[in-house]
Amino acid sequence: MEDLKELKKIEKYADQCMKCGFCSFFCPVYQEEKVETAVARGKNYLVRQALKGEQKFTPEMGNIIGKCLLCKRCVANCPAKTQIDRVVVGARAQMVKNKGLGFIKNFAFRKVMSNRKAFGRYVKMAKAFQWMMPTTEGKIRHLPDFLKALGAGRNIPTLADKFLRDVVQRVNKPKNGKAPVMRVGFFSGCAMDFIFPEIALKMIDVLTNHGVEVVVPEEQNCCGAAIYFSGDFETGRMLAEKNIEAFKDFDYVVTGCGTCSSTLKDYQKYLPDTEDQQKRYEAFEKKVKDSTEFLIDVLKINPEEFKLKKEFVGKTATWHDPCHLVRYQNIKEQPRAILKALKGLNYVEMPNADMCCGMGGSFSVYHYDLSKKIALKKMDGIKTTGADIVVTACPGCMINLIDNVLQNKMPQKVHHYLELIE
Amino acid sequence: MIREAVLTDLQKIVGKENVLNTPEGLKAYSYDGTTSWQHEPDVVVFPKTAGEISEILKLANKEKIPVTPRGGGTNVSGGSVPMLGGIVLVTTKMNNILKIDKENLSATVEAGVVLQDLTLKLAKDGLFFPPDPQSFLGATMGGIIAENAGGPACVKYGVTKQYILGIEAVLPTGEIVNLGGRTLKNVVGYDLLHIFISSEGTLGVVTKAELKLRPLPPAKKTIMAVYADVAVAGESVYRVLENGVIPDKIELLDNWVINRIEEMAPMGLPKDADAVLLFECDGIPETVEKETEKIVEIVKKYGASDVRVAKDQAEADKYWMARKAGFAAVFGKAPTVLSEDVTVPRGNIPALIKKIKEIAKKYNVESCVLGHAGDGNLHPSVLTDMKNKEHYERSIKAIDEIIESAVELGGVLSGEHGIGLEKQKFFNRVTNPVVVNLMKGVKNLFDPNNIMNPGKIWD
Ligand SMILES: Cc1cc2nc3c(=O)[nH]c(=O)nc-3n(C[C@H](O)[C@H](O)[C@H](O)COP(=O)(O)OP(=O)(O)OC[C@H]3O[C@@H](n4cnc5c(N)ncnc54)[C@H](O)[C@@H]3O)c2cc1C
Ligand code: SF4
Ligand code: SF4
Ligand code: SF4
Repeated sequence: MEDLKELKKIEKYADQCMKCGFCSFFCPVYQEEKVETAVARGKNYLVRQALKGEQKFTPEMGNIIGKCLLCKRCVANCPAKTQIDRVVVGARAQMVKNKGLGFIKNFAFRKVMSNRKAFGRYVKMAKAFQWMMPTTEGKIRHLPDFLKALGAGRNIPTLADKFLRDVVQRVNKPKNGKAPVMRVGFFSGCAMDFIFPEIALKMIDVLTNHGVEVVVPEEQNCCGAAIYFSGDFETGRMLAEKNIEAFKDFDYVVTGCGTCSSTLKDYQKYLPDTEDQQKRYEAFEKKVKDSTEFLIDVLKINPEEFKLKKEFVGKTATWHDPCHLVRYQNIKEQPRAILKALKGLNYVEMPNADMCCGMGGSFSVYHYDLSKKIALKKMDGIKTTGADIVVTACPGCMINLIDNVLQNKMPQKVHHYLELIE
Repeated sequence: MIREAVLTDLQKIVGKENVLNTPEGLKAYSYDGTTSWQHEPDVVVFPKTAGEISEILKLANKEKIPVTPRGGGTNVSGGSVPMLGGIVLVTTKMNNILKIDKENLSATVEAGVVLQDLTLKLAKDGLFFPPDPQSFLGATMGGIIAENAGGPACVKYGVTKQYILGIEAVLPTGEIVNLGGRTLKNVVGYDLLHIFISSEGTLGVVTKAELKLRPLPPAKKTIMAVYADVAVAGESVYRVLENGVIPDKIELLDNWVINRIEEMAPMGLPKDADAVLLFECDGIPETVEKETEKIVEIVKKYGASDVRVAKDQAEADKYWMARKAGFAAVFGKAPTVLSEDVTVPRGNIPALIKKIKEIAKKYNVESCVLGHAGDGNLHPSVLTDMKNKEHYERSIKAIDEIIESAVELGGVLSGEHGIGLEKQKFFNRVTNPVVVNLMKGVKNLFDPNNIMNPGKIWD
């Protein structure tokens, strides 16, 4: 029998499912495909069969557990509280363990590579960006993935002229010259580093304006989302250890990327192999705060204190809930509080604000067409608001929203909420 | 096993992308909402039109291949499990709402439309489709028609068969027929429409339906009545109705269920109550107010220890959330749950509840009751574990005896889930052989080669 250690860890979650089928209504993937293997119930069933030794880790099995956004909509609405995200990630980890990392990736890439046009574009992209790889080597093992995600025929935000790491100061003292009320470590994440450094700088600005000392440790690494969600727990664990070490001197680790904050918090859920790791990862989780949560819940800033940048006065804005904020971290009121308090900005809620934008990390690389269909529903929601700007707090979502707004020839601009603040 | 040539033919009919026969895909279509039934088909097809279905059925009829229709696969009777293999015919890709006719209060839908999608769409026009199986998030209109489903609102509004004006269906021999029509009244010969409704996929495949709708009631009110004795709660149900008030819902939760809900997600339900009843009144605001007052008065008179009228929608939502959490609470509490849907004449609810308690005691198993008390439809459940053979067998005996008691009390085997595989043994025991033979005759007339969902109901 194949090794089932990782599956055993999630057995109790898989056993929760009573096959009621409610998840089919909430799963964005099922809503497009209408096939049982796409929905949480089907995936969960197959994993349970694998646990019983009645289902092998076939390429098709890899495809099935790969086709999940990990958006957790099924989890949020499951009456039995089945945690499909953990089941899916556990199954991916088992698969990587038994079959090797290349296996899942290779298979998934068949989708891209078997499409000649997409493949051509992808190679061109990869080539065009290769120049930057040596300068960043060692810290971004997932970068090729990330580039591929950008490559398959998308509208790509240009890479920043200067990466955050080249321009940011390591230590940023409070603006008011007073002793800091708090010292926090800033986790940049790769998107902030390479694509949106100005947002990261803005965040440091906002924090230092509020009396916080912000340190940007050079030793930090990628959060590991793309890596451990694909089942590469080994590399994930390595990153976790490095990040925990890099931020050991701070009470809080703050980030402006919803995926990063959630990924760092969830080390404890997925990666521990020993009790010691479990304890340390749990302790780390408590230190991690998403910027929205940090500003409102930790610093307790009155949202009225934020001022709207001039260029946005009179505009209408709507909020897109990143899955990694709204469901992974239960953060939904904090960003809305900020947006609603910004004088001069008109806030409208969109109908499906909490529905996944279709990005799902590397999901959108392997299943770009499907991702676009899912995004189309998001776009419909945005359209009904009549908003000028779509605001969110995850660079991953931003990249996908920008792409889809353009694809659908919509007038909306996509912004990180920090960009709206003076 | 299905021959290669048949596979090729199926691919020709529906397109390659709509034929699934990977081992993983077949596994994913081997189950439904039940715990005990599983069997893999040889192939799964996803047709998009009645014409395609006609071709598929002609082929299957010629080759004598079993065909099991399937919508959302949420049934809890084993109905969509292909016990003899063959083709599983899935309607989920036929999910267009073709027309909403506000003037005639009707709608035309394809079989694969999920009830909740329809409900959301109708609400925009101020309309609703009254039958409300609690699986509305996954159940399709085809499945709802095939099972004649109904939920809490049936006390006042009735079940599916009262809201289907007509259907388009494909017979096992491939003919496409229209049964019923689009009018409210229809007495043109035998009522074949209603033979088809609740036929559990054994007579053919529903492809389209003409639905009867109602305007959404403008007001609603929720009342929770608390009882120190579950049997007294049972009595309140018919006392309310005999006093001339028909709420749209009357739901019952027993002490065990209340406590599991409170463990899962505290909502402030009275934990030491033996049972609670949840009432909902709907209609025009004035009527709703009067009916609410009347219910409060009646339940107090007939033994409720406490009555709460939800002061706003938020409080009402909380109570209904609790009701919805009810079955999750039950299912989450044991590895295997045997849950029934027996239905008795309302006056016998207290007697049935007493009986359930006695039986559970006799077999020393944990049991609970929740259900749509308003129409006498209860879900007595026994908690067990299939892996524990001795306990499981004891539980089966207990549940069998519960079902038999319900029948003795003038009830029926199934109020909403159908016979399928789950209740076959009882069906054959309690149904008059003459009636069984009539049914078999009907089946034979529609489906001479017995390809349509074979192995179900009496088989
Ligand atoms: C949590 C939960 C709650 C439930 N609550 C209720 C309730 O309150 N009331 C109630 O009545 N039921 C309830 N059910 C049972 C079930 O949801 C209903 O029977 C529902 O109508 C099944 O619809 P479906 O689309 O899932 O059909 P499926 O499960 O796919 O199929 C059900 C039967 O219909 C046949 N069928 C499906 N589609 C067609 C078609 N197009 N043409 C012909 N035959 C077809 C199948 O062969 C099968 O025999 C519940 C189930 C669950 C899991
Ligand atoms: S909603 Fe939850 S319990 Fe129901 S089928 Fe989906 S995962 Fe299983
Ligand atoms: S996490 Fe999202 S994509 Fe994955 S099964 Fe659940 S709802 Fe579907
Ligand atoms: S989650 Fe995305 S943006 Fe954040 S560090 Fe990882 S890859 Fe970069």
